Amino acid sequence: MQFREALKTIQENSSTNRPTCRVLLVTGFTPLHLQTFLQAHLQRLLPTKQLVVSTRLYGDLAETLFGIESSTADMCAVALEWPDLDPRLGFRQLGGWGPREIADILVGAESRLVTIRESLAAVPSHVPLAFSLPTLALPPIFHTPSWQLSAAEIRLRNAVGELALRISEKPNIRFINAHSQQVAEPPAPIFDFKGELLAGLPYTSSHADRLGQLLAQILVPAQPKKGLITDLDDTLWAGIAGEIGPQSVSWDLASNTQLHGLYQQLLRALAEQGVLIGVASKNDPDIVEAAFRRNDILLPRDYVFPVEVHWNAKSESVAKILDTWNIDADSVVFVDDSSSEIAEVQAAHPGMECIRFDAQDYAGAHSLLYRLRDLFAKPTITEEDGMRRESLRTGGVFRAGAQQHGASYENFLREAESKITPDFNNAAANRRSLELVNKTNQFNLNGIRYTESEWHSKLSLPGSFSLMVSYRDKYGPLGVIATLVGQATDAALTVNTWVMSCRAFGRRIEHQCLKLLLERFPAPEILLEFAPTKRNGYLREFSESFLGQKPDGPFKLSRTVFLEKCPMLYHQVEMDHD
Amino acid sequence: MTDLRHRLAQCFSLVFPGLNEPEVYSASSASVAAWDSMAAIILANVIEEEFQVKLDYNVLPDLVSFDLIEDYLKSNGNGTS
Repeated sequence: MQFREALKTIQENSSTNRPTCRVLLVTGFTPLHLQTFLQAHLQRLLPTKQLVVSTRLYGDLAETLFGIESSTADMCAVALEWPDLDPRLGFRQLGGWGPREIADILVGAESRLVTIRESLAAVPSHVPLAFSLPTLALPPIFHTPSWQLSAAEIRLRNAVGELALRISEKPNIRFINAHSQQVAEPPAPIFDFKGELLAGLPYTSSHADRLGQLLAQILVPAQPKKGLITDLDDTLWAGIAGEIGPQSVSWDLASNTQLHGLYQQLLRALAEQGVLIGVASKNDPDIVEAAFRRNDILLPRDYVFPVEVHWNAKSESVAKILDTWNIDADSVVFVDDSSSEIAEVQAAHPGMECIRFDAQDYAGAHSLLYRLRDLFAKPTITEEDGMRRESLRTGGVFRAGAQQHGASYENFLREAESKITPDFNNAAANRRSLELVNKTNQFNLNGIRYTESEWHSKLSLPGSFSLMVSYRDKYGPLGVIATLVGQATDAALTVNTWVMSCRAFGRRIEHQCLKLLLERFPAPEILLEFAPTKRNGYLREFSESFLGQKPDGPFKLSRTVFLEKCPMLYHQVEMDHD
Repeated sequence: MTDLRHRLAQCFSLVFPGLNEPEVYSASSASVAAWDSMAAIILANVIEEEFQVKLDYNVLPDLVSFDLIEDYLKSNGNGTS
């Protein structure tokens, strides 16, 4: 982004009535360009907010960090540079670079890092903080040649690493990875020596842009994709299994097909962090199963569900997989070696990210591995992530069982041995609740997304309540699958956030959620602050079952109508926390 | 109006969005309250991007009005209409 573009972005989004998102940028230097670029990048990531990036007095980074605790900032970004640890580690002070000074610098820097660590420890847990460790080169203060690390520099870098290590235990504090493949420094210079000496502006414009973008991406992480659909021949493995046989396809160094082994290895890792992996392949099912039975396969067969193997169009397979997963195309990545298959799937599912696996392009394949990691990246892995694959499989069993029972669906539900565990007023402490709110589409009361800070504020409002619902039945656990938030008094009960995972559909959990609220609170009716979105048709239909018509906006549901129209619920309710 | 004046006015409008068109053309650090040292650097950066020039930090203190900046750009080979 150019500086003019950043200014334009900020101007175009100023003086609106959108809710304000306050961001505090903490630096020890004049953050002129960084502040502008950070605000512009954040504005693009949060188009429904009005971003205000403010700074404090420059020069004392640790002192400013201590002020975060009492500030009204919704988010913070910190750019640490070497002079913040000791001014002699920069170019604007003339305090000496001799051996004696270096010893003193090291002691002072370590002490300073302890102060910074203590100030970071005091940052409230609901304020996301993006931290950039020093990006600029140290000045020539060490006695060794610049290409050799001196013991003093190792000690200094180790002290900074120690700070990051200790503070990284706080989930709201996230560090920029300057060594990431995707953010490797460009050839453009990052240090503006003249700017630093004449105006105290150490970053080149391009570096400020890059750093501003990374800080923004860390503060407002992209929603991770949920599923990956992969082709098999010349993608998951090298060779056409139907032609050379399942024993001859390969994915190893000896066959010069290690790329495919690395791809398998990555898919396995993604599956273990909760990413859904499906297969769409034009192939013979028996041959595919034989290949998956090989002992050396890195992506086991039971990590993949569903497997669509036949000779029909790939887009048809993809549609079936999306239906089984019950997620939208824009949450899914499709990988195939064939450009024509990519085009066919892309045309049928325009929102899907379709990526070509080109085994001849080693640089491209190398980038692909990182790109896939980034598309599915999450700051933290929850217990529910580990359950997702198995719960989808058992969900299939659940649906099959329901269909077998046909007219006696009631019998099926009654015999499912379902257990629901409600958890009132713990949503603020459970990161899963906000994750669910920000990624759920189909059963979402109004589609409103929240930043961590907004979520914390919402739950802190007087009279607020939250309800998280966990579910399990004889087919397996689903974990926390619903979150409701609202306000309650004796006379009125309002729900303004209600989401439920699509994995939980068809079990009358939504009915149980309302029942739990009506049992908990005495109000005669619930005001549900519904708003139609492009995707929340499931919730709209659920509401229609009580109202007799699909709602177009907020609606009230009386206790009487609910009890009259609620079907029989067979869940065993286990009160866990209260 | 020359192309240079028009493009320079756009730079000023971006950095000082509160100025109307006549104010832009008569702008100076004395008449524009927001024209402080930081704004001067931002203005310099915007002009650098727009005109693909490098403004020397040493001359920034002298470039304190629209006219002076226009003259500077013209005298440094950016006087095309």
